[in-house]
Amino acid sequence: MLARPLKYARPASVAEATALLRSHPGARPLAGGQSIVNVLKLRAAEVDALIDISRLEELRTIAATPDGGLELGAGVRYVELASAPLVRERLPIVADVADGLVDVQVRNRGTLGGNICLNDPTSNFPPLLVALGATIRIAGAGAERRSVPAGDFFVGPYRCALEPGELVHSVVLAPLGGDEGVGYQTLQLARDSWALARAAVWLRRDGDAIADARVVLGCLGPRPARQGAIEAALLGGGGGEASVSAAVAAPLEGIDAVGDSHASPEYRVEMARVYAKRAIHQALAQTEAPA
Amino acid sequence: MSVQDAAAPTKAASTIGTPVRRVEDKRLLQGQGTFSDDVWMKRMGYVHFVRSPHAHARIGDIDVARAEAMEGVYATLTGAEVEAMTEPFMQIAPEPGSRMEDYALAVGKVRFVGEPVVAVLAETRALARDAAEAVEVEYELLEAVVDSLATLSPTAPVLHETIGKNIGYQDTYAWGDIDWALEHADHVVSIDKLHFHRFSSTPLECNAAVVNWDRGTDVIEVRSNNQMPQFAAMFISPAIGMPTSKLHFVSQDIGGAFGLKITSYPTIAACMLLSRKAGRPVKWTEYRSEAVTASAHGNERTFTDIKVPVMADGTILGFDVKAYDDAGAFMRYEPLGGVIWSQVAPGCYRLKHLRVEYTQVLTNKCPCGPNRGYSRLQHLWMIERIVDIVAHELGFDPVELRKKNYPQADEYPYETPNGCFYDSGDLPRMLDLGLELADYDGWRTRQAELKESGGGKRIGIGIGSTLDSGTNNFGQARLVNEHLPFSGNGEAAHVKLDLYGEIAVNLGSSPQGQGHETTAAQTVGEILGVAPTDIHVKAGYDTASHAYVGFSGTYASQFAVTGLGAAIGAAEKLRDEIRLVAATALGATPDEIELADGVAGVRGDEERAIPFIGIANLVYTNVAALPPEVADAVSLNCRYVYRPPFEIPDIETKTGELTLTYAAQIHVAVVEIDEETGHTEILKYVAIDECGRRINPQIVEGQVHGAAAHGIGAALHESFVYDEESGQLLSGNFYDYHAATAVDVPLLLTGEIECPSPRSPNGAKGMGEGGGAPLSTLCAAFQDALGAGGAVVTDTHNPSERVWRLLRERSDAPRPVEVVSR
Ligand SMILES: Cc1cc2nc3c(=O)[nH]c(=O)nc-3n(C[C@H](O)[C@H](O)[C@H](O)COP(=O)(O)OP(=O)(O)OC[C@H]3O[C@@H](n4cnc5c(N)ncnc54)[C@H](O)[C@@H]3O)c2cc1C
Repeated sequence: MLARPLKYARPASVAEATALLRSHPGARPLAGGQSIVNVLKLRAAEVDALIDISRLEELRTIAATPDGGLELGAGVRYVELASAPLVRERLPIVADVADGLVDVQVRNRGTLGGNICLNDPTSNFPPLLVALGATIRIAGAGAERRSVPAGDFFVGPYRCALEPGELVHSVVLAPLGGDEGVGYQTLQLARDSWALARAAVWLRRDGDAIADARVVLGCLGPRPARQGAIEAALLGGGGGEASVSAAVAAPLEGIDAVGDSHASPEYRVEMARVYAKRAIHQALAQTEAPA
Repeated sequence: MSVQDAAAPTKAASTIGTPVRRVEDKRLLQGQGTFSDDVWMKRMGYVHFVRSPHAHARIGDIDVARAEAMEGVYATLTGAEVEAMTEPFMQIAPEPGSRMEDYALAVGKVRFVGEPVVAVLAETRALARDAAEAVEVEYELLEAVVDSLATLSPTAPVLHETIGKNIGYQDTYAWGDIDWALEHADHVVSIDKLHFHRFSSTPLECNAAVVNWDRGTDVIEVRSNNQMPQFAAMFISPAIGMPTSKLHFVSQDIGGAFGLKITSYPTIAACMLLSRKAGRPVKWTEYRSEAVTASAHGNERTFTDIKVPVMADGTILGFDVKAYDDAGAFMRYEPLGGVIWSQVAPGCYRLKHLRVEYTQVLTNKCPCGPNRGYSRLQHLWMIERIVDIVAHELGFDPVELRKKNYPQADEYPYETPNGCFYDSGDLPRMLDLGLELADYDGWRTRQAELKESGGGKRIGIGIGSTLDSGTNNFGQARLVNEHLPFSGNGEAAHVKLDLYGEIAVNLGSSPQGQGHETTAAQTVGEILGVAPTDIHVKAGYDTASHAYVGFSGTYASQFAVTGLGAAIGAAEKLRDEIRLVAATALGATPDEIELADGVAGVRGDEERAIPFIGIANLVYTNVAALPPEVADAVSLNCRYVYRPPFEIPDIETKTGELTLTYAAQIHVAVVEIDEETGHTEILKYVAIDECGRRINPQIVEGQVHGAAAHGIGAALHESFVYDEESGQLLSGNFYDYHAATAVDVPLLLTGEIECPSPRSPNGAKGMGEGGGAPLSTLCAAFQDALGAGGAVVTDTHNPSERVWRLLRERSDAPRPVEVVSR
C-alpha cells in the first residue's frame, strides 16, 4: 500500500461505528475516501484505523422534512445530491453545487459529510451551509442526536465541532421561502480545479428592502467567514447596483488570506468582494420581485 | 503453387494522404498495450528512491542499516557507491560547463528538491517505500537559488564547485549587422524584459523501466520507456564502463514522452547498478508526484535588453537580445538548447540582423528535458511578442504587420540569415485562412460594440505564428562545443518478406503514440503494392532485433521524414529483390515486373505472375531452384538508413542548414476577459497547420489538437513555481500543477494548407511539437484586449490574477517598452 499499514473495520450500524471510534482514538471515519485516502497515501497524517461508514444506509437517506426543508444524510454522495428530484425541487442550489464539484470521479464517491468534516478552506459545502443556516446533526454515544448550527460547526482548517467518537449524521436545511434567495459564486483556477475565491449568500427580502442576509466567504481563512459588516450594510437597502457595491466594500471579518502559487492574498480578498457582489445579485434575482 | 491463381494485377490504391485507422488503437483502447510497468521478470524487486527534501544541501552520513534489516529488502544503493563504481556522465557543454559532475544518484550534495539520493530495492513496491522511509540521511542545509537572474550574482550560492559559477554555457550568436540596423532604423523599440515561464508536459505514463543485469552474459536488459535509447546508451556506457553492445533496450508501448523521457538515463543507470548489486531485475515505476517534481521540466527563459529596429513602412529589421535560459540543476541534454533555437533564428519573419547573447544558467530547480517545442518555442514566442509589441506601440495593424514581414510564397526556399532554408510554405495564405475560419471581421465588430456598451467584459483577438523545425542536423552541436564529433542525422528501418510471403517491418524509432505502425504500413504498402492492413509493423523498439543508428528514437519532429524515409528506402530495396526473383521465375526482366495486391506480375500479361509466397519459397526453402547469381543477390531482408543531405555547419559564422523541414502553425484566438476578475474565456480558437504532405491527416490532426491543448494549458494554468527562500516546488503535484483537461480546452477549429517539402523523401515535414503557438496567440489576444497605451504583456503565463493586474496597471506606471523614432 501507499499508505502506512492500518486497520480497517466496516461496522453495520451508526451505533457500532461510533463505538469503534470511541474505543480507537487513532481511528477515523472513511466516507468517500476522496480526501482521506489521498492524505494517507502521502503519509501526511497519523491514522491507525479506518472505520468505513460509506455503506451505512442510515447515513444515505435524502428526506423531506415536514416544514418543507430537507434532511441530507452525511453519506449521500455528490452525484446523488445532484440528481435527486427532491433536492432539485426544494433547494436546487445544493444540487448545483454538488453537480459542479470537481470531476465525475470525485462526484461518484465524495460525500456531503466528508466534505464538511474535511473543512478545507476551499471546500464547496461549508460556506453554503453557513449561508443557508443549516443545522448539523451529530451521532454520539447514545441514540440521541445533538445538533450544532453550521455557523458553529466549522472550527478551523480541517477541524470541526465533533467530539472524539462522534460522527456527522445528517445536515438539516430549512425550506426557502419565495422572498428568499441564495447565491453561490466561485472563481476557479480552471474548470475542474480548486477555488481561488468563493462567496455564498442567503437573503430575504421584505417588500423593497433586504430584511435579512447571511454573506459568507470561503477560501480566505480558517473557516467560512460570515461578513457582519457587509450584511449590516445590505439590510434595509433595496439591492441596487450601487448599494450592493458599497456594501461589499465594507471591512471584511474573520479572514486571513494566504497566497500560494495561484493567487496572492491581495487578489483573493479583492475577488472575494467581487464574488460576494455577484452572489448577492444572484440571490436577489431569485426573490420575488416586490409588488 | 499455381501461377494461374493469381488475381489480376490491379495496383492497390494508395493510402497516402487518407485517414487510415491507426493500427495501434485497438490494443491501446482495449487495455492490451504493453508498457514498462506491465513487464514482469522472475525474481524482480521494486525500487523506491529516497529523494532530497531540500533544494540545496551537503549530504552528511547516510544510514541504510534499518532499511536493509527489514525483511524482504534486497539491497540499497547510495551516491557514495555510485561515485566509486562509475564515472560522471559525459557533458555536451564545452569548458567550464563540461566540468559538471552528474551521477546516477546525488554525490556529495543535493541540488534540487526531489533529487534521488538513495535507491532501495525490495520484494514489493510498498515495502520498498516503507524501507526508503527508514533510510536516514543527514543534510547540512545550503542557501538555494531559484531565480534565473539572481543566480548570476557574485554572492549567489554556487551549485557546482567544479564550475565555480552558475553558468553552464554562454555564447553570442550574431548575423547581419544589428548595430547598423539600430543606427539606421526609423524607430527603435526597446523592451526591458520578457519572461517565458517554466512548465512541462504530462505524459499519461510516468517514467518506468525494468532493468536486469544478467550475471551470466553481462547483458543489461532495459525494458523502459526511454524515447531515445541510443542517446541513453551513449551516455550510460562510458559512465558504467559497459560496451553499448551489451546494453539491450526494449520498449513496446510508451504513454507519451514529449522529449522528457530522453533524460531518464541517470535513473536507468541507477537501476542497472542496483540490479548488479542485488543480482536481481529491478522495476522502477515513477509516482506522478515524482514525475512532476523531479523527472524533467521544460526550459524557462528570460529575455532582457531587447532592441528592435523598425522602418517607417513596418519592415522589422531584426533584434538584439540577451537570453538567459534556466536549465535547473544539471545540464543533461543541455546545452543543445543553446543552439537549437537558431533553427528558427528569425522566426516566421524576414528579419536580417540578429544578435542573441545566450547564457544558460544553473539554479536549484529540477533539471530540464527537451520538452515539446524545445528551445524554439521560447525563441519563437519572444519574436511573436516583439512583432506584436511593435504593432501595438507603433500603431501598425497586427495582421498587416505580420503579412508584410512574413516571407512571401514565392520566396521559398527561404534562406535565413544563419543559412537555414525554410523549405516551403505560405504564411500569408495560412493567416488569411485562419482569420476567415475565426470570423475575424465579425469579432472586430463585436469587440467595438462591447467597448461602446461597457458591461465589464472585453474581447481580445490574437494571432500566433510559429514554426516546427524538424529533422535536426546534429552538426549544430558543434556550434555549442566545437569538439563534439556529431553531424547529420538519420534513421534506419528493416523490411523483410517473411517465410510465407508476409511483409514485416521494424523501425529504429521508439514511438509514444504517434502512430508509426500505421504510417509505416501505409508507406511500405504503397511501394510493395499491398494494403497497409496486410503489413506487420513490429510494435515498439528493440536494440537486439531492430535496425538503428545513433540518432534513432522518437523526438524532435522527424519521423515523417527520417523514419518514413528509411521505410521507403528499405521497401524499395525489397521491391527490387522481389522483382529480380519474379523476373527470374517468370522469364522476364525486372523492370517488366509490377507489384500489386501481394503478387509480382509481368506488366500487361495477366497469365505471368507469382504471389509473394512464391517469392519467399524460392529464396528461403527452394533456393536450389534459383540461379546462384540471383540467390546470392537477394536476402529478402532489407535494411536501409535514410540520411538527410546535410553538411557540417560553419563554426566561425554559426551558419548552416540546421534542420531539413519547417512545418508552420498559425493560430487565431478570441478571448473574453472579465474586467473585474481577469478571468479569461476562450470564445474561439483556430489552428491552421502546414506540414507538407500529410501521410495520415487524422494523425496530424491529433498532434495539432495535442499541441494546442498543451500550449493553452501552459498559457493559462500550468506553471512550476518555486519558493524563492526555500527552493521548494510549490506546484509539485496535480492539485497545484493544473494540466489542462478536456473541459479546459475550447473547441478547436482546424484548417490546413499543404506545401510539400522539396527536401524530404516523401514531401512530408516533421510535425507534432506545434511551436508553442497558443502561448504567442493568447499573449497577443491579451495585448489586443489591453488596447493602445495599455499595459504590455511580457510573460507567457497569464492566469486570472496576472490579467487582472495588467488591466489595472496605472497609466503613469513605468512601462517596460520604449520607442525612439527618428
Ligand atoms: C482531485 C480532487 C479535487 C478536489 N477538489 C475539491 C474542491 O474543489 N472542492 C471540494 O469541496 N472538495 C474537493 N475535493 C475533495 C472532495 O470533495 C472530497 O470528497 C471531500 O473533501 C471529502 O469527502 P469524502 O466523502 O470523500 O470523505 P473522506 O475522504 O472519506 O473523509 C474526509 C474526512 O472527513 C471525515 N469524515 C467523513 N465522513 C464523516 C462523518 N460522517 N462524520 C465525521 N467525520 C467524517 C474523515 O474521517 C476524514 O477525516 C477534491 C478531491 C479530489 C480528489
